[in-house]
Amino acid sequence: MPEISFVKAALPKAGAVVVLMAEGGEPSALHLALDAASGGAVARGLEAAGFKGSKGQSATIWAPAPGITKLVAVGMGPAAALTPDSAEAVGGATYPLIRAEKDVLLAADGIEMPVALRVALGVKLRSYRFDLYRTTQKPDDLPKLAHLAVALAEPTAARAAYAPFRAVAEGVFMSRDLVSEPPNVLHPVEMAERCRGLEALGVTVEILGLKEMKKLGFGALLGVAMGSAIEPRMVVMKWNGSKKKTEKPICFIGKGVTFDTGGISIKPAGGMEDMKWDMAGAGTVVGLMAALAGRKARVNVVGLVGLVENMPSGTAQRPGDVVKTASGQTVEVINTDAEGRLVLADVIHYAITKHDPKWMIDLATLTGAIIVALGHEHAGLFSNDDTLAAQVEAAGRATGELCWRLPLSDAYDKQIKSDIADMKNVGTRAGGSITAAQFIQRFVQGRPWVHLDIAGTAWSSKDLPTAPKGATAFGVRLLDRLVADHFEG
Amino acid sequence: MLPVAVRFRAAPGDVPNRAGPELHDGFDAQGQTIRLDLIQGPEAAGALAWAALAEGRHALEIDARGLADPVALAAGATLRAWSPRATPRGTLSILCDAPRMAARRWAKTWPGIAGNLFARDLVVRPANDLTPAAFVQALQGLSSHGLQVTVHDRAWLERHGYGALSAVGRAALSGPYLVTLHWPGEGPPIALVGKGLCFDTGGISIKPAGGMAAMRADMAGAAACAGAMLALALGRARRSAVAVLAIAENTTGADSYRPGDVLRTARGLTVEVVDTDAEGRLALADALHHAIAQHSPRAVLDAATLTGSIVTALGHHHAGLFSNDATLQGATLAAGRAAGEPLWPMPIGERHREDLTSAIADLRQCMPAGLGRQPDACHAAAFLREFVGTTPWAHLDMAGMDRAEADNPLAAKGMPTGFGARLFAQLIQEH
Repeated sequence: MPEISFVKAALPKAGAVVVLMAEGGEPSALHLALDAASGGAVARGLEAAGFKGSKGQSATIWAPAPGITKLVAVGMGPAAALTPDSAEAVGGATYPLIRAEKDVLLAADGIEMPVALRVALGVKLRSYRFDLYRTTQKPDDLPKLAHLAVALAEPTAARAAYAPFRAVAEGVFMSRDLVSEPPNVLHPVEMAERCRGLEALGVTVEILGLKEMKKLGFGALLGVAMGSAIEPRMVVMKWNGSKKKTEKPICFIGKGVTFDTGGISIKPAGGMEDMKWDMAGAGTVVGLMAALAGRKARVNVVGLVGLVENMPSGTAQRPGDVVKTASGQTVEVINTDAEGRLVLADVIHYAITKHDPKWMIDLATLTGAIIVALGHEHAGLFSNDDTLAAQVEAAGRATGELCWRLPLSDAYDKQIKSDIADMKNVGTRAGGSITAAQFIQRFVQGRPWVHLDIAGTAWSSKDLPTAPKGATAFGVRLLDRLVADHFEG
Repeated sequence: MLPVAVRFRAAPGDVPNRAGPELHDGFDAQGQTIRLDLIQGPEAAGALAWAALAEGRHALEIDARGLADPVALAAGATLRAWSPRATPRGTLSILCDAPRMAARRWAKTWPGIAGNLFARDLVVRPANDLTPAAFVQALQGLSSHGLQVTVHDRAWLERHGYGALSAVGRAALSGPYLVTLHWPGEGPPIALVGKGLCFDTGGISIKPAGGMAAMRADMAGAAACAGAMLALALGRARRSAVAVLAIAENTTGADSYRPGDVLRTARGLTVEVVDTDAEGRLALADALHHAIAQHSPRAVLDAATLTGSIVTALGHHHAGLFSNDATLQGATLAAGRAAGEPLWPMPIGERHREDLTSAIADLRQCMPAGLGRQPDACHAAAFLREFVGTTPWAHLDMAGMDRAEADNPLAAKGMPTGFGARLFAQLIQEH
């Protein structure tokens, strides 16, 4: 995972060079200088490779000039369509072409600085690896890219402008680390301890254990946790960056089921290993806090995560149990595998009563139904507030973390009526993601609220433009952008 | 045409059964009294009043004096008066402040209701009665209302290269057919395209036995289109419109099409069959092509009970709306709201189209089973989009909306809803 630096545009003495070309664009000064140093071999090579700068196109020329190991030309597509937001994918596509080089110079002297920054960010985000548990890797198989120097006209200004992105990338990587960790390592107690790492960034971290949560009446969260040998935790992370210290905070709430067997309503064996990432909502909230604190965002934020493990055992909760939530409302547990909403119910209630937020957003790998509805490109977005919903959708488009709004209404709410309690925790298959959102809505007390169902987007089975396959940290970039665009005073 | 004769009057008549906001449920010296329940709006109020009529009573007077929308009351009662048995003809009298104006508005409203009820009449018929041939016969009856009905049969479809629809219907004794209903009017038409699977066993990729009986309603999209065309004809619509209905039965047989087959569609694109139970999109592909190639429509809208996925996504309270055109999408959403047939916009993402890449043909029809949960409704929409070119297009996935999942004011539980007919008629009349 390379260090990014910014340098004056000059030919390097060694290493590899990346040149970026828009379709129909002109080569930059650095590109031309390299061509001259190569005695025209670069121009001839690109011509012979049929390189036109179209999106997804690339060409490599080995040892074009003394000291230079290779030149990689990367297409950016039509110049008119190139924006900072679309530039990250260019960086992401560049990374696999340069991962085997130690030092790389990115010739960004021909493009706008905001675009160059996002290309660099794209390289960085795509370079993520999680190698903690590999012991037999051969050095040749490992990426060697250690340093990406971005060459442009104003390196000092670029360095300052890139600083927030560096913090965001750190947040993304922290989130991906948490989500990638296996469930025997990252259980609720361990995950809570890792949240303490945020204190170094100036975040106040408070950890609530079993005793405290019992006292708060977290009957729903504790019902989920009681099948596991490992105690649950709730972590409250506070960042007070607003100039007005007393300003009401905004709250981000994450589902953190560190492993979800389904409990007594146990899941089928096939694919159950994926359930280690059933804490991705919490992983995103932690990464987001790191990003916001890391870039010293001028906003008051509280991040809250409910951390439990959902296990079948003699002490586990049963289908048919009735639990009392912190809000006082009772829930008939029809299916112990619909546990995420039980965890969120208590954490959301706590967030409201304790922190009185202006608005709140919860993230959860909540339902398989959202994958059947939308697939893996869009997260499901549910909201009781059209303005906030539209702002989240826009931030999603800007960061490539897409959201699609789905409906809420009384007609769906009726599907979770219980014969014995205030509500039941599942309806039928029909509209399964919607009824889950209706359940959560019963705990938001009418506050402006967005629920993101990220079950389809938290983990990717294939490489994405700015995320290798595995944990995506979906939501960190999106919500950081939401805050930056609308909520920093 | 309607199960009740509707009159708007200024003075009370001598109808023994009366409904009104001030009355209580019960009986008095004149007859039955029904409290008008306006909580869910006037259409639901009219429907509930009719539903409250005691067995054997077929005449009702609703006191709508002082109420804003007497026509909606009449519409609701008329829709609810439909029944799957031969309906005894009833009478409905609406007492209102401006009966002549109400009657004029009713003249614009009842054709849509007639269209809705025609669709219900088709959807309710079991598959041994409403075979593809019988469906075609019922549609030919629409010519008496001025619709031009053209029928293409199996031989025609095979001869003209409609390889997708031909394959879907091949194993059945009856069909397949492509039926065109044309309402001649001004300008280039709006085209409707409907999925008319009279029964869907799933074919070789056969469905589980539980719930298969509901598959007799897998022609509800085509029925909605036919109902909309009837509404336009009864309302003597000014603009032209056309409906292209793909009618077939998807069954198992020695001559069934198979998973793995490659079909050549009428548009020329080749399709790898992955699952013979994803037949609706194949039938629609050829029908969409036919509508566009033969009629050069301003816009094309299709309706289909297409995927279980859309039921998982939206349940029974919205149909899914997919479109390649923001203007058409907005107009369709608005028509759905106006008709009380709610739609919700759904995405066709880049990934959805990528997923349809085939190793052997231009595209595959869906994702193979066994790869985990799939957004099949989005995949189906991405598939259909390949057959519409640049024509503005909207696709209604109305699985889950064809029959009433629970009792609702306009239809009893399990009964067909006629979903789509009023929406389409409304949309075409307004644009």
